[in-house]
Amino acid sequence: MMRVVFAKEVRDNLRDRRSILSAMIYPVIGPLVLGLTLALVAEWQRTDKPVELPVVGVERAPSLVTFLEQNGVKLLPAPADPEAAVREGEAKAVLLVPESYPEDFRAGRPARLQLLVDESRNSARAANQKAQRLLTAYGSQVGAQRLLVRGINPELVSALVVERVDLATPGKLAASLLTMLPLFLLMATFVGGMHVAIDATAGERERGSFEPLLINPVSRWDLVAGKWAATLVFSSAVVGFTLVGFVVMSRFVSLGALGVELHFGLGEVGGILAASLPLALLAGALQMLVATFARSFKEAQTYLSLLLFAPMLPGIALGLVTVQPQAWMMAVPGIAQQLLVTELIAGESPPALWYLLAVASSALLSAVCLAVTARLFTREAIVFGRSS
Amino acid sequence: MIQTIGLQKRFGAKVAVAGVSFEAADGMVTGLLGPNGAGKTTTLRMLYTLLAPDAGQALVDGHDAALAPAEVRRRIGVLPDARGLYPRLTPREHVRYFGRLHGLSGRALEARVDGLIELLDIAELADRRVEGFSNGERVKVALARALVHAPRNVLLDEPTNGLDVMSTRGLREVIRRLRDQGRCVLFSSHVMQEVAALCDRVVIVDRGRVTLEGTPDELKAATGCESLEDAFVAAVGRAEGEP
Repeated sequence: MMRVVFAKEVRDNLRDRRSILSAMIYPVIGPLVLGLTLALVAEWQRTDKPVELPVVGVERAPSLVTFLEQNGVKLLPAPADPEAAVREGEAKAVLLVPESYPEDFRAGRPARLQLLVDESRNSARAANQKAQRLLTAYGSQVGAQRLLVRGINPELVSALVVERVDLATPGKLAASLLTMLPLFLLMATFVGGMHVAIDATAGERERGSFEPLLINPVSRWDLVAGKWAATLVFSSAVVGFTLVGFVVMSRFVSLGALGVELHFGLGEVGGILAASLPLALLAGALQMLVATFARSFKEAQTYLSLLLFAPMLPGIALGLVTVQPQAWMMAVPGIAQQLLVTELIAGESPPALWYLLAVASSALLSAVCLAVTARLFTREAIVFGRSS
Repeated sequence: MIQTIGLQKRFGAKVAVAGVSFEAADGMVTGLLGPNGAGKTTTLRMLYTLLAPDAGQALVDGHDAALAPAEVRRRIGVLPDARGLYPRLTPREHVRYFGRLHGLSGRALEARVDGLIELLDIAELADRRVEGFSNGERVKVALARALVHAPRNVLLDEPTNGLDVMSTRGLREVIRRLRDQGRCVLFSSHVMQEVAALCDRVVIVDRGRVTLEGTPDELKAATGCESLEDAFVAAVGRAEGEP
């Protein structure tokens, strides 16, 4: 019986051009947005470009200017209003050499320089750091020369040497940039079956076909399970298409420019599907439960649009703080899938137990939702609508 | 055969059905007649297992609708108050879907589907999506899917509501045929002419109670009225529209 219900819902919904169209648009939008973002970031991060630095008062610091030029900085004439130029983003940074600079420099007093930057501008960060680093280096170099002139070993001043060793593998870096990718996949599990879930519950009642359906000698459980299985077809399809979209995107965007790698082999694709699809079980069950409560199709749509953000919440939280994945987290649907997919695209291979936990937790919660929905299908207020 | 014994149902403080008892025999058309809000739909809903009675019994072929709903559902074909269709499916697919839900399949199912399409005279529409069908066409489709398992008992809630003259005539013809096949047909209506034209027995319901029951002639005799309409008014004890 469940199969009869399933077959009807799939056939019926496949004929709904509007819902098919909206389900097909999603897998294109996700990869497109992420691809463009990554391409943009790659453009900002390009390190081989010379740093351009407008300088006010070039003539006051000839040796500094020589040093900067030797180190690949392209010096530009100063803009009329340096502060505005930085604030508007016309210049990433502007160096101000005050009138007091030559005198202080010559007298061996700390000579003040001003570097105007806008820290809130991501695109300028790399260039600014380089400028800052070069200025500091020039300062140290001049300081060391002064000590030498006075017969003091400059090394005495350097009490510490801190060596930074960056242990992040390129893959890890890619993963942190690509936290959006699992997010899109998790959303796909909710987007794909949403329309079917509404149509099979609130829609069924709104068009008055629920009552005739319930008079058939079919258990409520068969009805709920068949409808739920139909939502899975659509959510799995959208997850699959979204993943295809990402694979295509990864071929077009040169992630190499970011100094990162994106693992999208056959194994990864299979793993990502195994990690994200179980969330579709829960998505369909939860959406049907919520939509069954709704008084109308419209109301159900409103609720389920809000529910779309549910899988995003753990994702956003995980994007803000870095979490070391642990086994217990795999028992929390949403978080589990987000972590698993993140690990996979970083080229890690999570233990099988994690997959098992992630599937089990989603399946268990789905079963609860379905059981409650089947109970609701026998409630008079739900069957006939709450108005009558 | 359909039987109710002291059926009662209340919604909150409002009593919808206050002890309804009647019988509808096989091979007969029984009309449940009463003004709007008399409790006809609620009584039918208890018979077709979607409402649980507060007291009393709703029996179909001797099976209690509240205790053995699955058994009762197999024995009834229902045109409920809500008779919505799936706009993207064709009439044939509607009938097939309900047939499968009744456990029919293969050639037996297709034969039933073809038979119903012929009975209801919807051959031309059979393979078009029901989106945009007229009211009469929709009722025919809803009736066809309700009859797919050849139920012994047929329950129709205000079947001619919203139908034009031609559709109403066609529907009456179908109802007579169902009766002639020996089925028990129970239908509710608030339209006197409807009941007079069709019913072998009439059960008049008002404010949740049966006020009079019998053949049209018996009703006229019992109230001393010339016409069924006068008998109805006498039985309800007021003209329609009066409180």
